Amino acid sequence: MTLEEWMPLFALMISLVASLVIFALPEKGYVRRTSVNLGAALLKLVVVVVMVWGVFHGVNYGVSFTMVPGVTFVLKADALSMLFAGLSAVLWLLTTIYAVGYLEDSPNRRRFFGFFSLCVASTMGIALAGNLFTFFLFYEMLTLSTYPLVVHRGTAKALRAGRTYLIYTLTGGAVLLFAIAWLHSMAGDLPFRDGGHFVGADPDIHGSLILIFILLMAGLGVKAALFPLHGWLPQAMVAPAPVSALLHAVAVVKAGAFGIVRVVYDIYGVEASSALGLLEPLSWLAAFTILYASTRALWQADLKRRLAFSTISQVSYIILGIALVGPLAAIGGLVHLLHQGIMKITLFFCAGNYAETLGIHRIDEMDGAGQRMPGTSLAFTIGAFGMIGAPPLAGFITKWVMGSGALAVDMDWVILVLVGSSLLNAAYFLPIVHRLWFREVKGSWPEERHWGRLETSPWLLWPPLLTAVATVVVGVLASLPFSPLSWAELIVLRESSP
Amino acid sequence: MTIPGPALAILAVCLPLLYPAMALQTNWRRAMRYALPLLPLPALLLALGADSGWQLELPWLLNGGLWAMDDLRRLFLLLTAVLWAVAGLYAVGYLEDRHLRRFCVCWGLTLAGNLGLTMAVDIGSFYGFFALMTFAGYGLVVHEGTDEANHAGRVYIVMAVLGEMSILAGLLLAASAAGSQLLTELPAAVAHAPQRNLIIALLVAGFGVKAGLPLLHFWLPLAHPVSPTPASAVLSGTMIKAGLLGWLVTLPLGEIALSGWGALMVVAGGVGAIGAAILGVLQRRPKAVLAYSSISQMGLMVLMVGAALADPERAPVLFSVIGLYALHHGLAKGSLFLSAGVSLPAGRMGQTIVWLLIALPGLSLAGLPFTSGALAKLAMKAGLAKDSLDFELAGYLPLLMTAGAVATLLLVLRYLWTLSAKLKTGRNPPMLTAGWLAAVAVSLVAFWWMPWGVAGLVKAPVWLPAPYQLWALVWPMLIALAVAGLALLLSRNRSGARP
Amino acid sequence: MTLWLMAGLLFTPLAWAVLTLLTDFVWGRRVTWVGILVQVVVSLGLWLTVAQNGGFYYDLGGWGAPLGIELRVDGLAVTFVLLTAAVASACGLHAGVYIDQHKSWHRYFWPLFWFLWSGLNAVWLGGDLFNLYVGLELISLSAVGLVALGGKANALRASIRYLLAALLGSLAYLLGVALIYGQFGTLSIAGVVLWLDNHSAPAGPGLALALMITGLALKTALFPLHRWLPPAHGIAKSPVSALLSALVVKASFYIAARLWLAFGESLGSLAAAQLVGLLGSAAVVWGSWLACKQVQLKQVVAYSSVAQIGYLFLLFPLTYSVSEPISLQAQQGITLQVISHALAKAAMFLAVGNLILSVGSNRVDALAGVSRFLPFSLFSFGLAGVSLMSLPPSGGFAAKWLLLQASLGSGQWWWALVLLAGGLLSAAYLFRIYRASFAENPETDRFYHPSKSLEVIPMVLAVMALALGFVSEQVLSVMALPFEEEGAP
Repeated sequence: MTLEEWMPLFALMISLVASLVIFALPEKGYVRRTSVNLGAALLKLVVVVVMVWGVFHGVNYGVSFTMVPGVTFVLKADALSMLFAGLSAVLWLLTTIYAVGYLEDSPNRRRFFGFFSLCVASTMGIALAGNLFTFFLFYEMLTLSTYPLVVHRGTAKALRAGRTYLIYTLTGGAVLLFAIAWLHSMAGDLPFRDGGHFVGADPDIHGSLILIFILLMAGLGVKAALFPLHGWLPQAMVAPAPVSALLHAVAVVKAGAFGIVRVVYDIYGVEASSALGLLEPLSWLAAFTILYASTRALWQADLKRRLAFSTISQVSYIILGIALVGPLAAIGGLVHLLHQGIMKITLFFCAGNYAETLGIHRIDEMDGAGQRMPGTSLAFTIGAFGMIGAPPLAGFITKWVMGSGALAVDMDWVILVLVGSSLLNAAYFLPIVHRLWFREVKGSWPEERHWGRLETSPWLLWPPLLTAVATVVVGVLASLPFSPLSWAELIVLRESSP
Repeated sequence: MTIPGPALAILAVCLPLLYPAMALQTNWRRAMRYALPLLPLPALLLALGADSGWQLELPWLLNGGLWAMDDLRRLFLLLTAVLWAVAGLYAVGYLEDRHLRRFCVCWGLTLAGNLGLTMAVDIGSFYGFFALMTFAGYGLVVHEGTDEANHAGRVYIVMAVLGEMSILAGLLLAASAAGSQLLTELPAAVAHAPQRNLIIALLVAGFGVKAGLPLLHFWLPLAHPVSPTPASAVLSGTMIKAGLLGWLVTLPLGEIALSGWGALMVVAGGVGAIGAAILGVLQRRPKAVLAYSSISQMGLMVLMVGAALADPERAPVLFSVIGLYALHHGLAKGSLFLSAGVSLPAGRMGQTIVWLLIALPGLSLAGLPFTSGALAKLAMKAGLAKDSLDFELAGYLPLLMTAGAVATLLLVLRYLWTLSAKLKTGRNPPMLTAGWLAAVAVSLVAFWWMPWGVAGLVKAPVWLPAPYQLWALVWPMLIALAVAGLALLLSRNRSGARP
Repeated sequence: MTLWLMAGLLFTPLAWAVLTLLTDFVWGRRVTWVGILVQVVVSLGLWLTVAQNGGFYYDLGGWGAPLGIELRVDGLAVTFVLLTAAVASACGLHAGVYIDQHKSWHRYFWPLFWFLWSGLNAVWLGGDLFNLYVGLELISLSAVGLVALGGKANALRASIRYLLAALLGSLAYLLGVALIYGQFGTLSIAGVVLWLDNHSAPAGPGLALALMITGLALKTALFPLHRWLPPAHGIAKSPVSALLSALVVKASFYIAARLWLAFGESLGSLAAAQLVGLLGSAAVVWGSWLACKQVQLKQVVAYSSVAQIGYLFLLFPLTYSVSEPISLQAQQGITLQVISHALAKAAMFLAVGNLILSVGSNRVDALAGVSRFLPFSLFSFGLAGVSLMSLPPSGGFAAKWLLLQASLGSGQWWWALVLLAGGLLSAAYLFRIYRASFAENPETDRFYHPSKSLEVIPMVLAVMALALGFVSEQVLSVMALPFEEEGAP
């Protein structure tokens, strides 16, 4: 096997092996476990960076073998995979650091970190999958490895949330499997290919293709939290903050959105999908989800639930961008995959900090937190303004590119959606920012903990600060090569010229 | 020695942005306080020293950045830098220790936004700085933390966000029509775009929130009284001018005759000028009166923008008049606001001098001869002269301008009246006095050396009006004095108490 | 070479059965270890021979059919032989430590174990209807005995019920065999197939086939003939339950499958095929539904077996009047299903045995907090569950994939719905158990730690079930032409 074949496997194996090692270490082996965690995360980041460089220069990383008769297991690194893989590698490192600090003194850490690594391995597999079969493999593995994380605390509420999570995701998985099997029996083993496979397809199979597409969207839409399949997400907030951060910024929701991108671009092809009349309803659904979820976020009194609905809304931006048939809009949607990840993880890290350091869970308890925890609150403010789309942050780049893209294909109604959702975002984020900085502290905090000179543990403080800085940098320096925007432009370029 | 424009531009924007970092240390509070007046200095140097026409390309910035300066922008930059400097000086003495760092951070960020938007030529930078200024300005408005301040802040931010979104939509549509990310390409593209009316409506409304257009002005009278005095000064002096600048760089002025829009703006300006005056004279609080005065003065500037929209040939001339007027108003209004916080000295002689210094900028606003206001009014009159304007409503303009002049003095008189009830005797912190005096000096004296131009509308020497012009300036003031005196008599007769 | 392998395969278990009759439990265990080693080596050797040279017919003692015993050693048969070796050795090793050595009647465990193994091998390799009957009886009687080894009243009741069901099934089968013999004059499957190829199918033998299949279905506990299984598998000792669920029920199914694939096209009908499939689907739904409601851990696993057995019978509709490739896909899928279910179910029962030993109770809700004390066994249970739920990347998933392809490809898309629904239902009852183990219960702190060897064995089986998903292509290729003839009789 050549180096090009080894690299994707290697990227996958790192977290798998890390997971097994962590399961093998005793519960009390804190130092060893932390070093395995961090070491594996760093190593993976290095491998991903090497692969990004390679893909940029046209190297073909990939490996395949026949797993079950008639279908191959394919790993392939193209520009789109590296977008997702890069995001997940970077954020894994930061979330690991955060989780080490967050879970100090809690039980069952071995179980947590073992499944955590497994979860990242699944995400990497999803990113590197080269056909729907392989994608599905890792998609279900993701469900299985995230369940223990959601129910980690073991309380009745956590178990209930886990149950809801499973009902949604396993059912979605069954629907997805049906669609994939049907497509396979109809058209054989289709690898992901720039431009898709069904351009100018035989009219006889149009009916089946449409039905299969709907089923695929339903199956993927559960994880991508498309209305009305989004119900599991707010309930899953009962999980510890590192889990919410990872689930909502990187792994689960992005996997669903990523799957939708793959189906529309690399299986059906944008022209074919649009010719079959599939993309307009998808764009309406996405637009509805954006506005609906933002409206629901207004009524949430719990911070993490508000952020959850915000996530539901933001992920649909990606789908909206893809569903508008135009390169600029697609760039906007793809780049939001990364931007949303960075901004949302910042917000969730901060929410976790408030909960851990001050015992705050509700928004009305946050008065004056800016004085006590300025670093965290600064990161939160940056994340919030990013969500609202204020320049020069990452969110603005997305909105501007998507808006321009929508106008370029005469879909002016999208501007309304963008503006409306920004207004809603402002309506539910700005009051929080006001409370943080411009209100006085109400008495004492519910449960305060002190960490010496810093406002909170350094493990908890640095990750959100770093991601907040990233939010700013990614927006300000958006036109540099290797910025997320430039990478999204590369993907769309390669996509439209197979 | 030529001062490098681009380098100064970057320094001008980045210097205030250091404040959030400085706020992390508690013992740098004193440094932050004393550095307030120093922050706009690079911008001041840039506005005065560097020549127009420098360009700074920042291809890595946002969607491709470009900063530059032309004559109009230079004026706005100068106004911003000067006013923030004197207000900063004032603030050193004015501010209490409570939440000082928070105020300074908001101050710095708002300043950076205000400076940056005057130099930005690409849409991303412009909108970015505009948004920065707007959002950071919230912190200045709600600084005091009272219920009234919070309420004012809420109205401010709601209207500001709505305005921002309107601007965003308008810019998106315009950029799409222009196929470019540069502001300089927008006016021509908007003029010929199929959705021209929609774009203009969005931009007028969006920037109009900031500029205090009637029906979009509600935040102004709420925000000014509650914010700390130096903040009110820059709010009225420079921040609302940002809305004006927004119109000037995006609307298709000078491209195509838009008589419908022109008429609308003229009417709006007139309503603003006169309506604000009526509401303003009924106010009891000095800063509220000044707020309405700002709306009224902005109404006059809106009038000029409307005229420029209607008559593209006249637009370049009107540009310089608008710039001049904005500079004059900003400096004068700034001085007036700052005077709201001074304490009177003990002796009669001192008090008289102080009252004179307080009143002079106000009278300048009203058009007192030998002041900047006189020049501005004369230039405006000449610019909007009926025969040189190709516009149906041109006939009404002189009447509106006269009414505006009357209104202005009425408001100034009301201000002085309400202020006299409020001011106390006492010692002023030295920096406060220095700031206020500097503001007055700049408004009355340094103004004449600033790089404005009147495009030949007013004959040289510009500080010396011709006799007929003198009369034209003075008679509206006399009318206003008469009205004011009448009002005073009537109210004294009725209740015997102070109105 | 082949002679020694075949001899070893058939006679070692019988010899060991006799040997262990003479020993007590502890010595029997040691003897068994040697026997296991021999069997594993021989099974592996035979598998490798077939992998290299292909399948063959073997006449026992050199006496050919129709009088002699002719064994059919093809790819499928040796795969199952190897599977039996793996699972039976695991269960045997586990039982050696698990079963209480102090009860005197437990010494009969080993003979019964070896008789069972020999019966299984006889069934896998059998090519003659009557020999299959013999093997079947051997298996059933040993199994009944193993169930009764529990000694308590409920174990005896369960084993009697099992015995009755087994005998009834065997009776039906025998009747069918007699009818076949009467019709065709031969007892060899290959012989009957040859006859059917040359002549058109007469009216009678359809009934014979139906009788045989019914009898075998009863022995395999197909719905609605499944009532005997949950008590038997649930009450027996865990290693015994593992053997029963993993291998014993598969033996009768194996025969039914052989019969259907050989005679089904000619003697069966579309209605019959769909009926069997329908019963299989009903088993899936009914078994899963009942599994969700069980209070005892082993009962959940037992009802899970009822459900999983339903999948196997989907072979019938998916191989009746469909094209060659589709039939092949269905056969491959069912084969993988058998293998992965065997491995996973055995792992599951063994792990459950460990958990029950540790917690001291066989209730599901007693598992709270066990993840802190016995994570290894819990993890084996979890991994086995993944294969049972046919979630990737396990052997169960590979099986499901092939069956989905077969059902969609043959236009019988309703079976696909059954497969998917079955997966979701199995997730329901399995996650109920996972959930119970995640619950935190600070009061329970009495945990007993079983020995390490007990924990390793189910893990090995579970990992094999998972690994099957990755090497299914290789495993299936050994079968090359599964269930087909390689040489003339």
